Amino acid sequence: MSVLTIKDVTKLFPGGTKAVDSFSLEVADGELVCLLGPSGSGKSTLLRMVGGFETPSAGLIAIDGEDITRMPPEKRPTGMVFQSHALWTHMDVFKNLAFGLKLRRLPATEIKRKVEAVLELVGLGGYGSRRVTQLSGGQQQRVALARSLVLEPKILLLDEPFASLDQHLRERLREEVRDIQQRVGITTLFVTHGQDEALSMADRIVVMRDGGTEQIDRPDVVYRNPQTPFVAGFIGTMNLLEGTVANGIFTRASFSHPLAVADGPATLAIRPEALDVTPAEPGAAKVHRVTDYGTHGLLDLDLPDDTRLKAMVSHPAQYRHGMGVNLTPRAVSAYRNNAQIFRSEA
Amino acid sequence: MTATEAGALAPAPTQRKRPIGLLLVAVPVLLVLWLIIWPIISAMIQTIWLPTPEGGRSLSVSSYEFFINDPYSRANLSITLWTTAVCAVLLLVVCLPIALYLRFSDSKLAAYVQGLAIFPMFVPSIILSFAFIRVLGPNGTVDLLLNSVGLPKIKSPYLTPWGPVIGLVWDNIPLTVLILLSGLGNVSNQAIEAARDVGAGRFALLWHIILPRVSNSILVAISFAVLGIFSAFTLPYILGPAAPEMMGPFMQRTFRDLFDPTNAITQAVITFGFCILFGLFYVRSVAKNRTP
Ligand SMILES: Nc1ncnc2c1ncn2[C@@H]1O[C@H](COP(=O)(O)OP(=O)(O)OP(=O)(O)O)[C@@H](O)[C@H]1O
Ligand SMILES: [Mg+2]
Repeated sequence: MSVLTIKDVTKLFPGGTKAVDSFSLEVADGELVCLLGPSGSGKSTLLRMVGGFETPSAGLIAIDGEDITRMPPEKRPTGMVFQSHALWTHMDVFKNLAFGLKLRRLPATEIKRKVEAVLELVGLGGYGSRRVTQLSGGQQQRVALARSLVLEPKILLLDEPFASLDQHLRERLREEVRDIQQRVGITTLFVTHGQDEALSMADRIVVMRDGGTEQIDRPDVVYRNPQTPFVAGFIGTMNLLEGTVANGIFTRASFSHPLAVADGPATLAIRPEALDVTPAEPGAAKVHRVTDYGTHGLLDLDLPDDTRLKAMVSHPAQYRHGMGVNLTPRAVSAYRNNAQIFRSEA
Repeated sequence: MTATEAGALAPAPTQRKRPIGLLLVAVPVLLVLWLIIWPIISAMIQTIWLPTPEGGRSLSVSSYEFFINDPYSRANLSITLWTTAVCAVLLLVVCLPIALYLRFSDSKLAAYVQGLAIFPMFVPSIILSFAFIRVLGPNGTVDLLLNSVGLPKIKSPYLTPWGPVIGLVWDNIPLTVLILLSGLGNVSNQAIEAARDVGAGRFALLWHIILPRVSNSILVAISFAVLGIFSAFTLPYILGPAAPEMMGPFMQRTFRDLFDPTNAITQAVITFGFCILFGLFYVRSVAKNRTP
């Protein structure tokens, strides 16, 4: 039953890098929040500050209302799973898991019971006597997760725990981790720069950029209603068109679309699946490439000024390179000065 | 670890290439046989195949008997063992903290400390010896400084058993620090942070996480130091007491000043025996650590 509060936290590294810039977030009890952002956006730094491995330059971090901002990691009720290379290779699996319990001076029978239970939980029952070097990458990360869980931390922190695994394994493990997290009901902060991971696991997503927050929302909301052009471009595939609005019409090269906002520059965002295409000669755009995925097709379209757009179609076979098409967006959002100024639902 | 990695990386030898490989190995092997193994064997033979008064030669262990029964020889052997043991302990006590500091500090000072720790490697023992005498010897710098503030002189370690100890420790710091440091490189930051995360304080971290990972390096470093120190010559010769003396100067004096090659070689063989013992101990422990 734990709530994590991060309030106006800033991290200034010696040398002047502002890795995190007055960041605030409240993670509810049992919630899984993903920190999502491009490389260097300060995700790891933020997570390490919660874990106690970096000290914030300013701000406050609290768990259940208790200020832990200056508490060293060994005293914090947090458990961290690192990207890789964090298991102790001179110990077997059992000893890796038992180490923290031994430091807490639990009786041996209790340690054994807990370790076996948590190994069962992560699907590695009976692996206790294995050396960690004899485990696959996926199994190693499961041991790392178990090592944190066995201590029953109030907050679980994961820093790209699947980054060094292959695609298949990553997908399987993230389902497993989500399962375990929900079963245990542990409050979790998860760092990733994979949007799939964030969209499929998170209760809420924090989109980070340059140490700050761009948007904090449920995954479906972040996907359907991105609040800034950065989020729009970062989550999923998105056509971002820079253009101008005059008399209620947005224009970019040969493309125009009614947009009920004040005159001036604007960025129009259209999902490929929300862009209807109809063959027309000469048409507003030309087909550059057709990709057939079996279930659907993806068209690469060029405006006369070489702006590239993507559109999803159900019958790709009817399109050829060089064909003219007209474009009709079913849903758009528009941005000006890094803020949303218009949005239409499909 | 390194051996198996190297083995895994090396391409499988094909039948055709084998003679060239053998030929390449043959050169160092023959050199070792000629310059090391043969002299050892011949030295051993010389110490047990002794001239008889009748002018012939016969099998005899009398030179070893002499060494064992001679109190002076025994004292020399014990002072050598004592010096070696004390140096090994001091080296660990001095170098482990330095190596730990260098591995885990990210301050600018660390670079200077590293430079300072490696520095003795570039100083010839003979210069080190004279520096030692000028600083710690009778009426040396330390005495002058103490005198200038009205304090009594120090009891100089020069020409006592502690003289060679101080010199040898100083001389061996760079290699020991470097070997320990390379061992500490095996301990990843994430492994350390994970240990702190589960609640390990400084001591638990050192004892349960860091030391087990560098135990091999400690063994290697101490073995190298011990082998070098046991048969050291220059530093004990210049800084040590006249009697008892360490095996190095003892052999030299027996050979040059007493014109007694048989006993000098006997001393050498005994020294060699001890070094082999250390060597075997080292090989065994490394092998044991490697096959879990
Ligand atoms: N120890 C440090 N000293 C100085 N600067 C640092 C340090 N650690 C991180 N930074 C800087 O802080 C910024 C944020 O780094 P951080 O590791 O938090 O990014 P990230 O979002 O985790 O990126 P990635 O997805 O690549 O892991 C970067 O510009 C980085 O160079
Ligand atoms: Mg990171």
